[in-house]
Amino acid sequence: MVYNENAMTKISTRKVLSIQSHVVHGYVGNKAATFPLQYQGWDVDALNTVQFSNHPGYGHFTGFQYDAGHLCEILEQGLTKSLEVPYDAVLMGYLPDVESLRKIGEAVSGLCEKDPHLRWVLDPVLGDNGKLYVSAENVEAYKQILRNNKVHLVTPNQFEMETLTGVTIKDLESLKLSIERFQILYPKVDKIVVTSLELKDNYICACCDRGKIQYALVPRINAHFSGTGDLFSALLLNTLVPPTGQTPPTLAEALSIVLSLVDLILQRTLEYSLSKNDTLPVTINDLKLIQCRDLLIGKHQKEEPDTQIRLINLN
Amino acid sequence: MRLLATQSHVVHGYVGNKAATFPLQCLGWDVDCCNSVQFSNHTGYGLDKVKGDATTDLQLGSILQGIVQNFSHDYDALLSGYLPHAESIKQMGFYYAAYKRQEPDALWLLDPVMGDESKLYVSESVVPEYKRLIFGQDVGIDIITPNQFELEVLHGSPVTTLAELKNVLQEMHRFIPIIVVSSLDARLFNDPSHIFVAASQVGKSPVILRVPLIDSYFTGIGDIFSALLIDRIYNHRNELDLVSCVNNTLNVVQEVLKVTRDFSPRGVTMGSTRMKESELKIIECRDLYEGPGEKQELQFTYKTLY
Repeated sequence: MVYNENAMTKISTRKVLSIQSHVVHGYVGNKAATFPLQYQGWDVDALNTVQFSNHPGYGHFTGFQYDAGHLCEILEQGLTKSLEVPYDAVLMGYLPDVESLRKIGEAVSGLCEKDPHLRWVLDPVLGDNGKLYVSAENVEAYKQILRNNKVHLVTPNQFEMETLTGVTIKDLESLKLSIERFQILYPKVDKIVVTSLELKDNYICACCDRGKIQYALVPRINAHFSGTGDLFSALLLNTLVPPTGQTPPTLAEALSIVLSLVDLILQRTLEYSLSKNDTLPVTINDLKLIQCRDLLIGKHQKEEPDTQIRLINLN
Repeated sequence: MRLLATQSHVVHGYVGNKAATFPLQCLGWDVDCCNSVQFSNHTGYGLDKVKGDATTDLQLGSILQGIVQNFSHDYDALLSGYLPHAESIKQMGFYYAAYKRQEPDALWLLDPVMGDESKLYVSESVVPEYKRLIFGQDVGIDIITPNQFELEVLHGSPVTTLAELKNVLQEMHRFIPIIVVSSLDARLFNDPSHIFVAASQVGKSPVILRVPLIDSYFTGIGDIFSALLIDRIYNHRNELDLVSCVNNTLNVVQEVLKVTRDFSPRGVTMGSTRMKESELKIIECRDLYEGPGEKQELQFTYKTLY
């Protein structure tokens, strides 16, 4: 190769099919996942489940959902049958329509059976803060997918974890119980990361790989951001599935790296979004992902090792 | 910097918004993409291989209405490319023009995607709709980037000499301040080994640029060209040197094509099963979009039409 030594032209890209929502303005769903993954060297095939002007947090939005027929035609007739794209991973997020969820679930399941190296990352988007924002049927559909498939990584938040396991999480003890229950109910799932846990004033993220349960204290930022979960699962995918020839880190190592990176992105987003008269806590509608692109490829000043987020054993 | 782009979305590959968005994001733009279609892949794979649907005109209008209402002062630039039919062009034109009336300083680039090499690949009804926008009063388009065929369709007469080209551009400048003809017919120059581009600004003599032809079947080049061009023009809008902007854009496009060619198999043609391997290497070229910067030579400048 004769091109710029530093350019990416020598790197072979990784390929992911990302099935999530699309907003024209802002960064949630596929808009939160796509740019960070692309900047880190992924070809992202973005299959959009909805097209909205912006996310509902703005109060007013316009747009529409794509129906199951449209989504399955593209996935089954196009990407799978006609193109045979050699994906390294499938990332599945917000899928509001239960028929689409079932059918896309089946199609991805088929892809995984054909290719045992394909990594399925599933964010079971059900709700948050004690509230379901999909129907009870969607909950059942997610449960069925998790029961029957070798999902590589699942990333529920506290409420979703409680919904999927039936265990209320109040403290570390019940967190451990819910993870153990999850493993019994969904034994085929490989790795679990539980996000946004609020336990006795602590903000926690927990993970479980091969029976080993660990957790980390997440730095608190006095603001609410939309799209953080979608960014988080994309960054975890990038860390857990490195380019060919590199050894993947352990789940705990990956989580430590990603939590630190998300913290840096949120801090910068807050700094760039606050105006003089704002009082905390604030609601930030849009992550400043474009302005954080140096962070995505580690071109910022490295943190001192002792400020990195550490994982603590729970069992 | 924030830009609104209305054009096609393909799940796999790089044309339309998929070709425009990532390069612009790498240059620091927040890109708000409104998708006029969601297809599995571009039409070069063969029409029977394209799965998915166009966004209906009602859906497109509703999304743009929400955007213009909620973000009525957020955009520095507006971009539009492939739109499937007359009604979707009408919707885009209506809301973009409404935005321009609120924010006259926003820069609007319209790529009138209609066809190439004497063939329309959209329905005939698209032509009068583009004409209405381009030759209309108080619409507010700043830049258009037709190829020669599209220029001829818009103006309504063939261009067989450079003198005719100059006349057509001059007449169209009564409506549009900046016209960049993205590819001129090689027969005008009797030179099939180069691509010829015209950069024309109202009140100035048009300049022809030429770049060596990279002979492979690539799709999406026009989309990355117009995306990079609007970035260059926006960033130099106060003292605009259009020829330098076009030269710089061509420089980057040429590099992207070289990378793509080196990664792709030879001899891929329309409908080939190996089309997948000929997609533009948009991701691999991440670090090339900045271009040669201010120190560039105008190495592609060929001729001024005095």
